[in-house]
Amino acid sequence: MLSPANHKVGMRDQFKDTVSALAETDEKVVVVLGDISMFQFRHFKEKYPTRFFNMGICENTLISVTAGLSSQGLRPFVHTIAPFLIDRSVEQIKLDMCYNGFGGNIVSTGASFDYAWDGATHHTYMDLAILRMLPTMGVVQPGSPSELDALIRQRYDGAAPTYFRLSDNPHKLDLEAICGPAEVGKAVVGADGGHAVTVMAAGPIFANVWEAAKDLPVNIVYFHTIKPIDKEAVARFANTKIVIVHDAFGLHEAVNETPGLATTYHGLPDEFCGWYGTVHDIRKRIGLDPGGIRARVESLLATN
Amino acid sequence: MSAAAEKAGDVGGVPMDARAREIRQNIIQVSHKSGHGHIPTSFSIVEMLCAVYNQMRHDPTKPHDPQRDIFILSKGHASLGLYCTLAAYGYFPIEEVYGFGAHDQKFGCHPDRMKVPGAEASTGSLGHGISLAAGMALGMKIKNEKRRAFTLIGDGESNEGTVWETIMVAAHNKLDNLTVLFDANNSQIRCMPVDGAGARFKAFGCEVHEVNGHDLAALERAIQAPQSTVKVIVAHTVKGYGCKSFSEGDGMFAWHRRSPKEDERDMLLGELDAFAR
Repeated sequence: MLSPANHKVGMRDQFKDTVSALAETDEKVVVVLGDISMFQFRHFKEKYPTRFFNMGICENTLISVTAGLSSQGLRPFVHTIAPFLIDRSVEQIKLDMCYNGFGGNIVSTGASFDYAWDGATHHTYMDLAILRMLPTMGVVQPGSPSELDALIRQRYDGAAPTYFRLSDNPHKLDLEAICGPAEVGKAVVGADGGHAVTVMAAGPIFANVWEAAKDLPVNIVYFHTIKPIDKEAVARFANTKIVIVHDAFGLHEAVNETPGLATTYHGLPDEFCGWYGTVHDIRKRIGLDPGGIRARVESLLATN
Repeated sequence: MSAAAEKAGDVGGVPMDARAREIRQNIIQVSHKSGHGHIPTSFSIVEMLCAVYNQMRHDPTKPHDPQRDIFILSKGHASLGLYCTLAAYGYFPIEEVYGFGAHDQKFGCHPDRMKVPGAEASTGSLGHGISLAAGMALGMKIKNEKRRAFTLIGDGESNEGTVWETIMVAAHNKLDNLTVLFDANNSQIRCMPVDGAGARFKAFGCEVHEVNGHDLAALERAIQAPQSTVKVIVAHTVKGYGCKSFSEGDGMFAWHRRSPKEDERDMLLGELDAFAR
């Protein structure tokens, strides 16, 4: 059974702490901001003025410049709000980071419906699904600050580009207590009772999944890496009915890289969720609150 | 001076450099043999390419030398011009380029930096190479390296918003090791011309040099000129410079992406000879 985690900071602060720690020993670390998170990085800016750029509200250029920095052997992190950094700049990521082989670290904030109150212009749900289709791209959706720290340290200095998706609403579960520090590409089996139904989830929504299903007769699997997807973990439950719970696209498609699975997607509707309010309001409305998830899993159990 | 050059006002009137002439001959021959290539847009940039490769620090025997300067052809559809220039400067034999556009060959109709020695970026989608070059120039400065980055963009390409985003970033960060060559070949006269490009770049904070884009010496002087921020060389060119079939009438549009048949090849080579004499 999972215990609550003792996270002292949110994911954005953790991002700053991790990058700042890396910069102390790695002079190749460079930060490129799109006029966001300047407060978090104010000390980084003071300490490393030649490696910090609040470059402007020009996401396409931020990505390409970051690729150019990578080409010169630097280890840049480019960071701003998710829909603008990813949805707007897919071609720059595809060509300048992936096709050119220059790499770079993309770190977004404002995952899924974190900015529910801002309406659909600020919602992000295609990012994981699109980026996982790009050759060489790594796609990471940490669910907690400690996962973020571990995953960045493992991946930031690789030749291939990596997407790290931050959220203001991390899960608060101590997954490390059962599996140790997060490892890129390795899923966490939260519960395996040999049941006929398996619930799979990724990122912060796992909090609701765990609350909804922890006492149900189901196996529960958690992913913080969408690409590479942990195919061994998928294979372990390939003979069960799988319900994939995700407040985005991408996990469902990644799990189904394994052929022949019986999967159900419990996630986003085919409409803009522009009802304002909080992330919790949106999740409840589309059945991604604990009650909605539980009802879906129970209905699957009833038909099993 | 040819009729085309006379029409272009300050463009032309300078004897064509022998290497520039040879590069143009090879562009025609490769396009004829392969059935691929954007000839007129390649012709407008030959002197710019020669000027860059005459001036920048590079060694064709060491295309990955960490001390080298970098050139990115942002308007990647002029790849044939780049390949024939790289061959002329010793990066590979021109014979290799004859596989242009063919399956499993090195030389695609847009350059792949993983395959072509000397190609520093894989370009083709417009408005990317300039941003990559800015990132490279910034990276060189972060590492305190006295290296330069060059990129060549088209006037049509400059309809793309990323060109202007990047110019703002480059000027704001005073990238005095970045030089942008702007091919003002009037290709956008039927669409959305970037009129008064020099004034626009100046307004964006760049140091601007306006030159005859077919005057090799003038281009090299502009490249040599000291700079305190990003430099833009607005090179006034004729699309298809060197062959009247390209540069007169609707030639530049008719030949935009057309390869000459045998008799047309001979005609074009003849026009080039007559022009260069």
